[in-house]
Amino acid sequence: MFRSCDRCEKPATVHLTEIKGGAKTERHLCEDCARSLHAPQPSQELLKLMKSFEPAQSLATSGATELARACPECGMTYAEFRQQGRFGCAKDYEVFGEDIEKLLKKIHGSARYTGKSPKGGTVEGGLRLDALARARKRLVDAIEAENYEEAARLRDEIRRLGETPLVSPSSPLTGPPTPPGGGARGASGS
Amino acid sequence: MTDAGHELNRLPDLWLLKAGREQDVVVSSRMRLARNVDGFRFKSRFRAGEGERLEAHLRGVLQAADPSLQYASMNDLTPTLRELLFERHLVSAEHVNDKHPRGVAYSSDGTTSVLVNEEDHLRIQVFAPGLELSELDRRVNALDDALARFVAFSFSERYGYLTSCPTNTGTGLRVSVMLHLPALSFRGEPRAGQPVEQGIVKVHKAAQKLGLTVRGTHGESSRAEGDFYQISNQVTLGSAPEKSIADLASVLAHVIEYERNSRSILLKDDRTRLEDIVWRAWAILGHARRISSREALAHLSALRLGSCLGLIDGIPLPTLHALMVTMRSGHLQHRAGRELQPRERDALRAQLLRETLARTPRV
Repeated sequence: MFRSCDRCEKPATVHLTEIKGGAKTERHLCEDCARSLHAPQPSQELLKLMKSFEPAQSLATSGATELARACPECGMTYAEFRQQGRFGCAKDYEVFGEDIEKLLKKIHGSARYTGKSPKGGTVEGGLRLDALARARKRLVDAIEAENYEEAARLRDEIRRLGETPLVSPSSPLTGPPTPPGGGARGASGS
Repeated sequence: MTDAGHELNRLPDLWLLKAGREQDVVVSSRMRLARNVDGFRFKSRFRAGEGERLEAHLRGVLQAADPSLQYASMNDLTPTLRELLFERHLVSAEHVNDKHPRGVAYSSDGTTSVLVNEEDHLRIQVFAPGLELSELDRRVNALDDALARFVAFSFSERYGYLTSCPTNTGTGLRVSVMLHLPALSFRGEPRAGQPVEQGIVKVHKAAQKLGLTVRGTHGESSRAEGDFYQISNQVTLGSAPEKSIADLASVLAHVIEYERNSRSILLKDDRTRLEDIVWRAWAILGHARRISSREALAHLSALRLGSCLGLIDGIPLPTLHALMVTMRSGHLQHRAGRELQPRERDALRAQLLRETLARTPRV
């Protein structure tokens, strides 16, 4: 007798009888659903997502070699990663290159990290913020916030670090050039 | 850190017994960070003996980073103890059932646990009753920083912390808040033949648009039994962790208000109906001689709502929260000191509920 799977439309090939607390329940599942119910599997959404962004040429010509590309560290191929939804080691991120970049973008809407670094300090948009980059960013923020006193201080800090500020608190956008020191204070009052 | 052997030297405290903020709606908060150790493969690709080596290594690292943590190798624990740790959310279902060498380090107050060789080499998690995001953020990062002094994590500046699953890449941060949403789950009477959309459906839709998930209380694909839901962030890459936390907090504020308003409306619409549900729950829990955990949870949920709305007095929320954990089979078996048949468990559960509720004064 043909019977379709309890969870999808495919024919049921796995039949389970469970007796729990004296009550008998029968379940009829296709192989895929049976597997997904009894073994930890990557979430269906993730697998769907991974398939959806695959380039059209994936299995056709050059795609076959792409899929067979294996990580020298753990031996995982891109095809295996796609199937399991889990990396074999941290190096896979590098080995699978562009494809991972696209996948991460699809999942998170971005493929550039912002947050702390285990070595201390912070990373923004995938770039380490060193003292100079941090000062430049704060200078832009300070000007936007019309905090000219802080801006002048940051400008001096950037000069001390041996660079020219990309945005200057005395740029045409923010008013006339001001001499270092008292001038900046005057600007902050306006 | 002490050896666990086949028993745990000291069971972690039941922290749900403490009160928390916004506790009429928020049961508890959790934060976890996923981390992997440079130079070791991920679990699915361990070489022979690599899992054992990594577990031993991380056990030493944990000891050095926080000597107050107690460590237990999962394979050394009895099935009952593994289940008990799961019921306290200290370990995941995957960690209970796995066969790989794996362990858990936990604090004696039960609010910190670090899973070794779960999906990632380390899963650092912290808990608190009620809504407590800033405090958890501080605690989980303090432990992470302490660990980073003794071990090199897999990290790239481009992608952040490299995790086994691409859904965690970046910050590796998952913030989950457990909410009790009985009014939003309430199925109203159909109006003019049209079914009324449950508030929870709207919450689901809104959460999805904002990159959050809403699901049952034991994580992925678990069902929302007893109207308890978990809301958590999904995005771990691109957005600064502080922003993810702030975004989640602002959505939570809306959901909490929405649930509170829905409760007031239910109360105004038909107070007697609510009272009836609450007092029937009280009667069943106070008198049943055999009860399944699912049925008990549904009634505890009703009592919780009744207690929050002042329909029934003298039942502290933490007592109900603790019962939700201690009535589960791992805890019952641990209490009985042996494995129990399902019928015995249901009887022991009914007894625990009767005895506990008999001690709470009510009006």
